[in-house]
Amino acid sequence: MNTSTIEEPVVKRSNRLKATKLNNKMVTDYWEDLFKAKENGKLVCWYEGVAINPILQAADIAWCHGEAAAALMAARNEEGPAQEAAEAAGYDRELCSYARTHIGCGILSQRSTEEAKNIMLPSDPAERRSLASRIPVPDMIISAYPFCSTGQQWDDMIYRQFGKKVPVFNISLPWIWGNKPSAKYMSGPEYRESVDFLVQQLRGCISFIEGITGKPFDHDKLREIMGFIKKAAEIKIEAMRLCNAKPSPANFFEWTNSIAPVNFLPGNQDIVDYFTIKRDEIQDRVNNGIGSVPVEKYRLFWDGIMNWNKIGWLSDKMAGYDACMVAGRYTHMGFWHETEVIDLSDPLDGMAQNYLTCPISISAPQMIDKVIEHCEFYDIDGLVLHGARTCRAFSYPQFMLAEAVTKRLGIQTCMFEGDMVDESYYKDEVVNSRVEAMLEAIEARRQRNRF
Amino acid sequence: MNKILEQLAAAAAAPGASAVAWKQATGGKVVGSFPMHFPAEAVHAAGALPMILQEAEDPITVGHASIYPFYCGYTRSLVDQAAKGDLGFVDAIMFGDHCVQVLSAADMMRLRMPETKVHFYQLIPSLRDAWSEENAVRILRRLIEGLEETLGVTVTEEALHASIALFNENRQLIRNLYAQRRAGTVSLSSSEMQHIVKSSMVMDKATHNRMLRELTAQLQGTGDGNVGKVPLYLSGHLCQAPKLEVLDLIEQCGVTVVDDDLYHGYRYVSTDVDTRGDPVLALARWYIGRNWGAPCPTRIDPKTDWDEWLLKAVGACGAQGMIVLMAKFCEPHYFYYPRIKKTFESNGMPHLLVETEHEMVAAGNIRTRVESFVEMIKRRNEVNTAAMA
Repeated sequence: MNTSTIEEPVVKRSNRLKATKLNNKMVTDYWEDLFKAKENGKLVCWYEGVAINPILQAADIAWCHGEAAAALMAARNEEGPAQEAAEAAGYDRELCSYARTHIGCGILSQRSTEEAKNIMLPSDPAERRSLASRIPVPDMIISAYPFCSTGQQWDDMIYRQFGKKVPVFNISLPWIWGNKPSAKYMSGPEYRESVDFLVQQLRGCISFIEGITGKPFDHDKLREIMGFIKKAAEIKIEAMRLCNAKPSPANFFEWTNSIAPVNFLPGNQDIVDYFTIKRDEIQDRVNNGIGSVPVEKYRLFWDGIMNWNKIGWLSDKMAGYDACMVAGRYTHMGFWHETEVIDLSDPLDGMAQNYLTCPISISAPQMIDKVIEHCEFYDIDGLVLHGARTCRAFSYPQFMLAEAVTKRLGIQTCMFEGDMVDESYYKDEVVNSRVEAMLEAIEARRQRNRF
Repeated sequence: MNKILEQLAAAAAAPGASAVAWKQATGGKVVGSFPMHFPAEAVHAAGALPMILQEAEDPITVGHASIYPFYCGYTRSLVDQAAKGDLGFVDAIMFGDHCVQVLSAADMMRLRMPETKVHFYQLIPSLRDAWSEENAVRILRRLIEGLEETLGVTVTEEALHASIALFNENRQLIRNLYAQRRAGTVSLSSSEMQHIVKSSMVMDKATHNRMLRELTAQLQGTGDGNVGKVPLYLSGHLCQAPKLEVLDLIEQCGVTVVDDDLYHGYRYVSTDVDTRGDPVLALARWYIGRNWGAPCPTRIDPKTDWDEWLLKAVGACGAQGMIVLMAKFCEPHYFYYPRIKKTFESNGMPHLLVETEHEMVAAGNIRTRVESFVEMIKRRNEVNTAAMA
């Protein structure tokens, strides 16, 4: 390694936004509310995949998003009991770790069924009281997974885990492939047909919910909720785009921390206020030339899903390399990222379009074009590809993506394996060597260009 | 080996060569597809040769530059074949199955085969919804439109009816052989059964039917009544064919395989298409109805339980146990296996899990495990016999 230009990773901290603390409080409050949902007389829905929570919120139903629950546990190092419970029940470790963790929650949180009695639970009473076991059992399951077939199978297993007694509703999301030349990002007859089919299913989902609650669905409330979400998402996007400043005032890891308000937290004024505060803080940094890392020599883009148990650690690691992970496919291409199509007078169509354009709902050609747009906008030097071992949906296009950015933008890439919530697949030294090699290549190119 | 079986085995072993020969003989086009639910009748009705693309025996080499090693052997092999240029004989690829790994492989193949049209017509995986049938019909109509546009032909109702009848006959001929094998009146090893089914996936159906009729006649009286060996059922291996060496090895351990639900087996021929009425509606109903002909863990069907279905199937064919062949990284199978294990254990039906990979696994290891499994069943039989005496 050329030590004259690339320094050894030293202890440096990324310059975290103050607004993050507010986000953490909102997340904690949300989970505490969910844990008490039954005591408060609320029905609870379990779901995975796309953000259908506005529909549940409008129906006054509490919700548990499977990936969010797994990510929370991993971020707090409490994923162990749920994953062990799933493994004890026979679920292979190569299965989606989100699914294993969430199914483990199901095992730990249910107590009354025959299923639970036949499964070995952790012997330690403290583990039985873990975060996983505090998630209230579902009164309904709604499956709405983009692209990844594993999502529907995971919901099917939860349905069976609860003895097929909890009503389940399946939403089958079309994958945006594009058979015809007319198929472009968010346009063309094939796309429109997919949107219409998804809207049909969302309307069916509302009828399903009405059947369970016994009440007519409150469409006005949904419009109001989507109004907050649309506003919050617009401000979020505005704040993200401020990060094309140099140095970048915020980084990808900060944006992973801000997924909750636009993924599963209630749609209300709080999330609008949160992103307003965050945007203002970012704008203030831009005005004062304050960067997200102490020294910004390299601007990077993260492809792939997040290692939830490594957020702060990776953020500081990159800071140690004088590298800012400016943006990412996961954070910047999903979570109400297409706000302009949300018509608040009839939000279902726009909601469907956001679900169908998240970064795994669109197939590689469109997805790669969008990543390249982001790399150009943020003036990226290198692409870091996190191949999540058990998330095949996010990992599969990475070789194609690496080829495309190298050919079309001439930027460097590096890859390493890890996982969303199963830390055992992550190897620190592999990350070090791959990232260092990429930064060295960027530096070498810069040296050549100088001469 | 019987001469017809040898010809079927040759087609199964080298589907590309078989397709090239067909193209040279007919001037027709080949449309590749992926497992497990594609209505190949539509391709046949368009005048092309439908072919389920198969896992190759070759070691995966250049494909490693396109796909991570934590995908199933079938998808890694497909990407490898595309990257090597081995699928040049395929004029188009059309598919409808919704498995994250198959879709991923298809997207990679699309990039590696820029001259080949790769079309996706997503068949709804959730089978019991109010819109399942309506959606399947709409998607099948889109598939037919795509075939017409790609191949420059018109697909008529008459052609669809004729293709459905031809394919039904093929399924019935194979199911008939299954029935005779279960009854012990014909002798067909698991490898031979795979030759029959796999060749059906890649060959012209009319030719295949003719060969099956002759084969059926020739095999009469070859069975030994399935006596003297432990009768077992094979389950699993969705999408890719189990390695012949593994099938042979199992039978060398004192086993007679009497039935299976393998994709390269009974699953492929489980269900016929209704020959009456609108053929597109009939194909849609076939797609949905197959799940109770042989339940599939890639489909979402709250009312159907693969584990319970398997338990009944094992009992119905007189098997004394089941070997589960599980392709490494097959998530649908991984999800469902705990339920199968639990159901079989709670009902006292022995089963053995064997995980397989694209690369040949240690045969000695499998042999030891199968031999132990067979010995355990024999010992159990002795204890039961003694108890009854």
